[in-house]
Amino acid sequence: MKRKVFIRYSSQKAEEPILASVIKESGLLVNILYANITGKGGEILISFDASEAEMDRILTLFREKGVEVWETERTIELDRELCFDCGACISVCPTKALRLNQDFSLELNEEKCICCEVCVSMCPVRALRISSKL
Amino acid sequence: MTEVKKTIEYINERIRSGDAVVVTAEEMVQIVKEKGSVKAAREVDVVTTGTFGAMCSSGAFLNFGHSDPPIKFGGGEIYLNDVPAYAGLAAVDTYIGATSMSVSRGMEYGGGHVIEDLVRGREVVLRGRGYSTDCYPRKEIETVITIEDLNQAILCSPRNAYQRYRAAANSRDETIYTYMGMLLPNFGNVTFSGAGVLSPLTKDPTYETIGIGTRIFLGGGKGYIFWEGTQHDPKRGLGTIAVVGDLKQMKPRYLRGCTIHRYGTSLYVGLGVPIPILNERIAQSAGLDETQIKTEVLDYGVPRRDRPVLREVSYAELRSGEIELAGKSVPVSPLGSFKLAREIALTLKEWIERGEFLLSQPLQRLPSDSVCRPMKQAEVTPLVRDVMTKEVITGRADYPIAEAAKILREKNIDHLPIVDEKGKLIGIVTSWDIATSIGTKKNRLSEVMTTRVITAHEDEPVDFVARTLEKHKISGVPVVNSGMEVKGILTSEDISRLLGRRKK
Repeated sequence: MKRKVFIRYSSQKAEEPILASVIKESGLLVNILYANITGKGGEILISFDASEAEMDRILTLFREKGVEVWETERTIELDRELCFDCGACISVCPTKALRLNQDFSLELNEEKCICCEVCVSMCPVRALRISSKL
Repeated sequence: MTEVKKTIEYINERIRSGDAVVVTAEEMVQIVKEKGSVKAAREVDVVTTGTFGAMCSSGAFLNFGHSDPPIKFGGGEIYLNDVPAYAGLAAVDTYIGATSMSVSRGMEYGGGHVIEDLVRGREVVLRGRGYSTDCYPRKEIETVITIEDLNQAILCSPRNAYQRYRAAANSRDETIYTYMGMLLPNFGNVTFSGAGVLSPLTKDPTYETIGIGTRIFLGGGKGYIFWEGTQHDPKRGLGTIAVVGDLKQMKPRYLRGCTIHRYGTSLYVGLGVPIPILNERIAQSAGLDETQIKTEVLDYGVPRRDRPVLREVSYAELRSGEIELAGKSVPVSPLGSFKLAREIALTLKEWIERGEFLLSQPLQRLPSDSVCRPMKQAEVTPLVRDVMTKEVITGRADYPIAEAAKILREKNIDHLPIVDEKGKLIGIVTSWDIATSIGTKKNRLSEVMTTRVITAHEDEPVDFVARTLEKHKISGVPVVNSGMEVKGILTSEDISRLLGRRKK
């Protein structure tokens, strides 16, 4: 099954070959969907095929190396009924998929969204949700 | 002295006759720019403002009426949808505060959500306990109520509508979760609060027209300022107001319960204050644009009351969505809705234009010279350097495990920081690491040590390190300086000893 994993690096960890080590240790075939790493840390979104058990092992490998990591699933949905257009979500979005338009309404650009799910917890009224369609 | 001199009665006459010129604070910016403040003061009667943001010091007084046989909640317990409400009033009065959290759902649902559900007309489960008296014999009750069933439902908040607020960023190497939202590591984002150009108190910063009895837009209904807000700090441009209004008239669009991730619950409140333009001085401040309204970006990575100022910033820069910070361009999030703030200012404008909302003469102005003081603490906040063990025994990565075991046993310690030849921290070995290495083929400390060491600094408060220990489920941290040299060690034992002292 295709899985997606989001990894966040601190500045210390950005200098270590963490993804390479995990690939080597797990023999995983990884596709990098998005990456943004500087000396100050950064984030990578990868996808690969893995079973539930393999997934647990891979997440553990990453965690042991001291990075924040989580599996991301599905797509993000914006519930217009709940959203009151504060924009709290926009600064945590790594790909600028969320923005306030000219009249200060929130817009979600689904093409730019990589489903890292960070915005979901930032939303104060749970208007951003992980969609169940897979 | 001012050239223009109008009174609130004069403006109210113009509102009654339908002649009043009412504009929003956004529109006023342009008018003052084009015509100057004197002409603007002659032409404009009222400027409307608006804000829509999370205001934690919000809540509501509710009265349930008496049950039969009657029960006295006062001195007992009250829960609304499992959220604890205040039970220190008379028999069936309560106060439900926005940050009170559900005993069953935790941060997902709190007092703010209860208030929103009441305003939406939804059913709310009331559960309460009394201790039984001769006049109030009943001990327990569980029932379902809606806002219609309440005698009074009064939104009454001791602190709303901060004049402006500090923006937040995080210097730490980890994500932190604050009341300013999620702050990404290494200045990864900035969040800010306040409606800037539309912010009520910013538009009359000396409170010439705002005070006790000022009628306002509150939660979609009409409300009043009843006092200065708590922590009102006018000298630093951080004024606040205490507000009150009939919850039964309010609308769910302008009162929303919220969850700030890993922080707690709160209530988003929509609030707007009409500013009567009595003279050109008020016209001038009501016409301030966002480049003229400044705040500071603070480092929330420092868990102290006085957080370091990273830079000054204008609301115009914050509104642009990106600011320069620590040498890079950083994305910015508002936490309040500018769209709804604008909608509130426009609604208030319409109410006044239609003659449905008259201005009120404040009975007393808000203080403009008071200061907000910090808490008086009986003891000074202990810092790591005051509590840590300074004589640290360290080891080297090439030590045999048996030697480390001997050191730990002889010195009666559990943590051995590992340093390199220059004295820099490169790892840590605990008695647990050594215990679990028995029976394995590992020989050297380099094979068992943890290289991802959680550390503390000498000038951090001990309470902060206690939280770090708890968060990472560890029992001690080496204390290092900026060059990663080991200056001491702080263990949970040191902290317990300190707490023991505190309780005496």
